Amino acid sequence: MIGQQQSVDCNVKSGTRKAVQDTPSQALSDALVKVATSRDRKAFAYLFEYFAPKIKRFGVKQFGNEAQAMELVQDTMTSVWRKAHLYHHDKGAATTWIYTVMRNASFDALRKMKSNKEEHISEDIWPIIQDSQTDDEGFKDHLQTAQIQKYINKLPPAQRDIVKGVYFQEMSQEQLAEHLNIPVGTVKSRLRLALQKLRAELGDQA
Amino acid sequence: MIKHHPNESLLEQFVEGSLPASISVAIAAHVELCPCCQKKTQALEEAKASQQFSDAAPLALDADMIQLMESIALTDDVDEVHDYIQPTFSYQGRDVQLPRAIANIDRTKFSGVGKVSRARLLLEDGELRSSLLEIEAEGEIPEHTHTGFEITLLLDGDFSDESGEYVPGDFIWQDGRHNHSPRTKSGCLCFTVVSSALHFNKGLSKLLNPIGNLIY
Repeated sequence: MIGQQQSVDCNVKSGTRKAVQDTPSQALSDALVKVATSRDRKAFAYLFEYFAPKIKRFGVKQFGNEAQAMELVQDTMTSVWRKAHLYHHDKGAATTWIYTVMRNASFDALRKMKSNKEEHISEDIWPIIQDSQTDDEGFKDHLQTAQIQKYINKLPPAQRDIVKGVYFQEMSQEQLAEHLNIPVGTVKSRLRLALQKLRAELGDQA
Repeated sequence: MIKHHPNESLLEQFVEGSLPASISVAIAAHVELCPCCQKKTQALEEAKASQQFSDAAPLALDADMIQLMESIALTDDVDEVHDYIQPTFSYQGRDVQLPRAIANIDRTKFSGVGKVSRARLLLEDGELRSSLLEIEAEGEIPEHTHTGFEITLLLDGDFSDESGEYVPGDFIWQDGRHNHSPRTKSGCLCFTVVSSALHFNKGLSKLLNPIGNLIY
């Protein structure tokens, strides 16, 4: 890592890549989509046969031993099975997606060897999902819940306790007042303040 | 407009996952801020994927492989992935959004000398140390060279040195051949990766030691 590593321009080279005829790109993408949408084990077997030996070969080069190479196959193909729903065929080839999954697993494994720490920083360096899916209502609701949860946790403790009591433990305002040993009026005013803050935080999304 | 980018070979190593974590974080943060480098990394990922995965027909799986395949697909469970919520970072009365790779790594509290303060990222990475560096308005870092190298990624505010002015997103790689004395007019926030202690060129070096230690 010697010498100038910085560049004063950013030219995207295009047309330098040859189309690779040997890769059954369409079939691979279709299989990955089938794994995602119908948990299709036949499609997964097809992907596994195609990718696993190649991932193992990459792992042997990377780690210098067979056992860790097999761990890489396991980590990568487990993510393929369990995260296939995050793949968007319109954003690129299945091979590219699986390459990034493998690269991430390999990066975390190398980090673990060096620092002996179990961490998954590859997820933050190369996020597998770049943006959220919004057309699926259920998914959106789920995201919004996660987001609301996060804002609730940022409220001052006194207000947070009230919100959690009312909306998650389903206590009445009177029960809460008794439980926390404060007047009912205080419960009401804290709840009002908390909801105002949450509304402001969620803004136009709510 | 961002003028300073990681060069081609650095981006390629980034895409392969073969760079140390701190440098990978710096490049990931630049890429998040630079649409052009986003396109480049995507193209590089495609090229790497073809390299690894294009050859030959499927090979026959041995018994170990078949067992592994069956154990993976034993359940129908999927991994739920939560959308990433970008936290707001406040400094000098300004609210900014840190790039994800930087924001998600734990760090120490800020501590400083004069107008310069830093929070170190808790990222074990050999001799490499990475930090968030905050310089108040009219602050500067005295002229220095590097025995190793120093990456500075400007995240917010303004920043200039002998080679000119920088804008947020600029990726600046300095090594032993450069000496510079960065300064800021209205205050700035940077991400830095430093490989070894700094070497100050102008007198009073003992006096400057605290700041050298602070930055490394």
